[in-house]
Amino acid sequence: MTTNCKASSREKKFLEMAAQWSGEFVVADYGDLQASAMAVDCLGSWAVLAGRRNLTLVNLEEPTDKVTKTARQSKWDISCVQWNPHASHAHLFVTACNQRLDLYSWKDSSTNRHCSMKAHSRTVSDIDWSPFDVNVIASCSVDTFTYLWDVRDPKKPAVSFQTVSGASQVKWNKVTNNTFATAHEGDVRLWDPRKGNAPLLYIAAHLSKIHGLDWCPQIEHHLATSSQDCTVKFWDTKNPRKAEGMLNSGSPVWRARYTPFGHGLITVVVPQLRRGVNSLYLWNIGNQFQPVHQFVGHTDVVLEFQWRRRPPGHGDHHLVTWSKDQSLRIWKIDSNLQKLCGDNILDSSLEMDSTVTFEIGTMESKELEQDSFPSPQSSMVGDATEIAIQQPRTLQQEFSLVNMNIPNVTIEEMDPIKRTCSVMAYSGTNKISLVMSFPANYPDNAAPSFDFQTQPLSKGIQKKLIKVLNETSQRHVKRHANCLEPCLRQLAAALEVMNVEERKTPDSDPYTSKRFFPISGIGAFIDSSIPFPRTSGARFCSAGYLVCFGRSREAKRAPGSSEITPKALSELAAYASRARVPREPVGFPTFGFSRSPPNASTEPVTISAFYMYKEKKHRPRNKLRNTKDGSDTRMKDTDKCLRKPKVGPVQVYDINRLLTIHKQLGENYKIDTDDIPAMCLHNGTVSASVGRRDLVQLWSLVALMSSPKLASSPNPEDGPPWGRHPFGRRMLKSLMDYYCSVYDVQTLAMLVCIFWDRQDGQRLLQHSASRTSIDYVPANYNPYHTVSSGSNLLKNWTATTLKVKRSNSWSFEDSFEDYRFVDEKDNKEKVAEAEKKQHENNCKLLDPTSHVQYDLYLKVYADILYRWGLRNQCNHVLKHTTMAPDAHKGVEFAVRCSHCLKDVRGAQCASCKMAAFQCAICHLGVRGASNFCLACGHGGHTMHMMEWFQVESVCPTGCGCQCLINSELRSGT
Amino acid sequence: MVSVINSIDTAHEDMIHDAQLDYYGTKLATCSSDRSIKIFDVKSGQQTLITNLLGHEGPVWQVAWAHPMFGNILASCGYDRKVIIWKESNGTWGKLYEYSNHDSSVNSVCFSSHEFGLNLACGSSDGSISVISSTGDGNWDIKKINNAHTIGCNAVSWAPAVTPNSLMDHSGRPQMVKRLVSGGCDNLVKIYREEDGQWSEEQKLEGHSDWVRDCAWAPSIGLPKSIIASCSQDCRVIIWTNDGTSNNWSSKVLHKFNDVVWHLSWSITGNILAVSGGDNKVSLWKESVEGQWVCISDVNKGQGQVTEGQKTS
Repeated sequence: MTTNCKASSREKKFLEMAAQWSGEFVVADYGDLQASAMAVDCLGSWAVLAGRRNLTLVNLEEPTDKVTKTARQSKWDISCVQWNPHASHAHLFVTACNQRLDLYSWKDSSTNRHCSMKAHSRTVSDIDWSPFDVNVIASCSVDTFTYLWDVRDPKKPAVSFQTVSGASQVKWNKVTNNTFATAHEGDVRLWDPRKGNAPLLYIAAHLSKIHGLDWCPQIEHHLATSSQDCTVKFWDTKNPRKAEGMLNSGSPVWRARYTPFGHGLITVVVPQLRRGVNSLYLWNIGNQFQPVHQFVGHTDVVLEFQWRRRPPGHGDHHLVTWSKDQSLRIWKIDSNLQKLCGDNILDSSLEMDSTVTFEIGTMESKELEQDSFPSPQSSMVGDATEIAIQQPRTLQQEFSLVNMNIPNVTIEEMDPIKRTCSVMAYSGTNKISLVMSFPANYPDNAAPSFDFQTQPLSKGIQKKLIKVLNETSQRHVKRHANCLEPCLRQLAAALEVMNVEERKTPDSDPYTSKRFFPISGIGAFIDSSIPFPRTSGARFCSAGYLVCFGRSREAKRAPGSSEITPKALSELAAYASRARVPREPVGFPTFGFSRSPPNASTEPVTISAFYMYKEKKHRPRNKLRNTKDGSDTRMKDTDKCLRKPKVGPVQVYDINRLLTIHKQLGENYKIDTDDIPAMCLHNGTVSASVGRRDLVQLWSLVALMSSPKLASSPNPEDGPPWGRHPFGRRMLKSLMDYYCSVYDVQTLAMLVCIFWDRQDGQRLLQHSASRTSIDYVPANYNPYHTVSSGSNLLKNWTATTLKVKRSNSWSFEDSFEDYRFVDEKDNKEKVAEAEKKQHENNCKLLDPTSHVQYDLYLKVYADILYRWGLRNQCNHVLKHTTMAPDAHKGVEFAVRCSHCLKDVRGAQCASCKMAAFQCAICHLGVRGASNFCLACGHGGHTMHMMEWFQVESVCPTGCGCQCLINSELRSGT
Repeated sequence: MVSVINSIDTAHEDMIHDAQLDYYGTKLATCSSDRSIKIFDVKSGQQTLITNLLGHEGPVWQVAWAHPMFGNILASCGYDRKVIIWKESNGTWGKLYEYSNHDSSVNSVCFSSHEFGLNLACGSSDGSISVISSTGDGNWDIKKINNAHTIGCNAVSWAPAVTPNSLMDHSGRPQMVKRLVSGGCDNLVKIYREEDGQWSEEQKLEGHSDWVRDCAWAPSIGLPKSIIASCSQDCRVIIWTNDGTSNNWSSKVLHKFNDVVWHLSWSITGNILAVSGGDNKVSLWKESVEGQWVCISDVNKGQGQVTEGQKTS
């Protein structure tokens, strides 16, 4: 009896590091044990590893050291082993070997066989101790019989049940007694041992063979079946016709078992092509699209996994797994993982660091060296990119790794020898058969060829699809990356788009990207739509700043590089995998996005690493250039590369010189419309001081234009005003146009301040509000014509009335005269008014029709002044806006007039003209600062109120209100 | 012509993805792949770290400052599908609101002009755009434009509130219409407009031949025309202009660069455009009086770019 079991010291060291990150927490390698079955006892202290030659008992506290082996002589493998689930008989375990069951006891470090039970005529496929009866074991076999044994009477089975087909699984219900289920090919039968040979229930669960069966530990009528058809189905025995839920794992599922916490499920898949994913997946039953965690580490098929019971109060659950690679691993399921399964435990024993999430990072470098195919270390949606780093090396590996869970696309056949893969895709009612052939040197710059077998699609669509596929594959193989899965996904996406286009029906539920790109457990595809991150940029900020950030000199792209920056984040992964090659294989690459294990030796593959790698690639060129001191500088370079941050400093530039606006001008400009010449003089000198000679000229011009001598008289009879002169409005217009074209909002706003009278604007607004527009005057009407066209208008009007008079037989001449007279007078008035208005408009040097735009200039300039911190100036400018600021929205105190009880705004009541708010002390109207009680509404001058309430606490009016107390209460709420 | 007035060593552990000064130009916010956001006081040349905001579980792609009338508010978005709105109160920064209703990385955040209130637009790789608006009483109103860009939305930018030629309401005040421009993986630039609280697509601008990486609506000084700049993986920058009288947008290729162009920014007066891309270079472009776009960052070479060395006055 030789013990060949020691965990390498490296593993141990590794465990310390990885402990925090869940992952396998214990790895024990047992070399050539050849155990085919494993079981963990109900106390969580022992595991038995059963094989053809040995029964090995392992103390789970020290799985590498405390191991006891018992040799057995048999030519048959042990197909299953199980401990008694009752703590009182925890030392008993039963094994199934060929047609026989053996009951052993484990006491005082030795195993003794108690008895054998033999009745089956073929190999026993499964055994299960009753969780309710300490003496009862169920066993099933392909011989079509299921037996219940009483271990006190091992000679013959206590009860037997027969079915037409053999059973692969037998499992007792974990919640209620007297119910167990058996699996027969694709069916499940439920039995009650008290009800003889007829099954209680029959569930047609799967079309393919059921590999695994498990009862829910919490709900008595829930069970899960896992099958060859790649699915796990959830059943409610109260409704056996339809599965409650289904999850698709992409590969045949060997076992699916509920977790003892939350709503989780652990699955193990049957690896395809014998070398595939030897991982366990943790699912949240609520989310059947993707697993929440992947346990990676085993290098061969996982044969068995069981939960290890932990002492009460222990927050973590332990998962014990046994694999064909002859290593036993214990995985810690910490509260974070449990939470992912919907377990809402409030765990005080663990610090809940919100940033520490789902990540595990465990992979020994030793394994990596031995196995050229690196396994993914964790597959979360959050770090899907990470998975893409794991590039399979051969086509066979790629085939075995491809995730078949692609909507509307099924992989029919994968032939790694012929190097072909045939795929069936569905688009609406169409079926498309596609064959991909992979050249020998794929994926090194050699893209697969695509060939459509059936031709139900139009040539155009086919061409489009081929184009999509070629583009996708080219992009990947250029980076030496595999492209099968991306191609298939692209195909699915393209078909979906076409399908949607074909239907052309407004989809009430627009297809979301989720449906478009199903997030699968293993797929970096999700990141392929995320743009490659910006690593440099420049942003204009505030007024006159430019903020630049970028990569450091070391991380700069080498000049002359022909490749452009990649498009999507997922492409980073491909680079990363290449970048890894020149480095010594230390540790395991981890993508910057995932929470990498605190392992100093691993260099995370991040965006910066991407640039650093590129830098390295171009290093040799430097080498050629540097001659003697070349090696020296290179050394320094590498040093810098490693130590210096890859991030350059953020630089803030002052770009005021590039702008046409000027802070100094904004600060020193004067706006004083009462004394324009002085203002112009001042502003002119200010402009000169900053070197804006054009503005000096402008200001002298403005001084002339606004000279009081040119002021227009209010009477239109005095002739056309200055505004009509070519050097009036027209010149100003051309000046404004010029400053517009150079975006000098500062000058524009200043001009508006001088030449646009706010009062006029407001009057204008009132007019437009009362629907009397300035357009009232006909367009061709000019009050300065010697013969007023207004009189023409009048003539026309009289003519028509006269006409009317003629055509009508009006008997009351007088009244008609009257009527005409009134009208004529009215018209005259109107004309005069229009004339006056037109004159007023003409007096203005700025066209009143675009007053909205003037306001905008002022607003924009005011905003800039505010950014510069020039608040006074900002308010000066805003004073000139035509439109009042937005009415206040929100809570406002309104005053009710103390005389007429009307709501009043301001100090004086509009209806009774009395002071609206009377002071309760002096009985005078309050105009200035006032205070009042929120409860009774009485109050008055702030000073009076303060004086009063320094001594008193009740209202001065005598209303009885405890103002001080009440107000406090109200403001408190 | 321009001078460096401050150079801040952010001490970020990984690539910086965005850096922005606040409204007054006194505070600098940076965000990085190291999941953190840092805020520096850069008033008068200093560079004091005010805070290091942790809360994102992945790289932080972009930050945006709100108008100071709402307080000191910063929004950030990242790979972890989250949008976080941070606020300073009594000198300490904390989360004000966290929005996690996107199914993929959120690539862009942008605050609207303050005239519209506190509105934040977020563009995500799940193809949708969210508009998060403060209702004023501490609650947030969410509107989502689903399927704005198939495959993903990479950038969002608000139109300025200054909209001449718009209709007047009864008091003569111009009615302000909220508009957004967005760019995405469908190679399109789209303009969305809000009407009766509903967002609808107003315009689809086709011109790029690859993913649109960024788009920026130019600030207005009150002129009737609207200008949008967009840049793309196809290395081109396109300037889209609308004269304000019709619904037509005319396009003009500003320049074809040597590498991906991924970021655009307009100066406050809307006449200078900063262009940056994968080559780690920044160039400034200005429209000449004749309507031609010329690179002004390096006058001698005519085509040069601003780099640290060249850019000193």
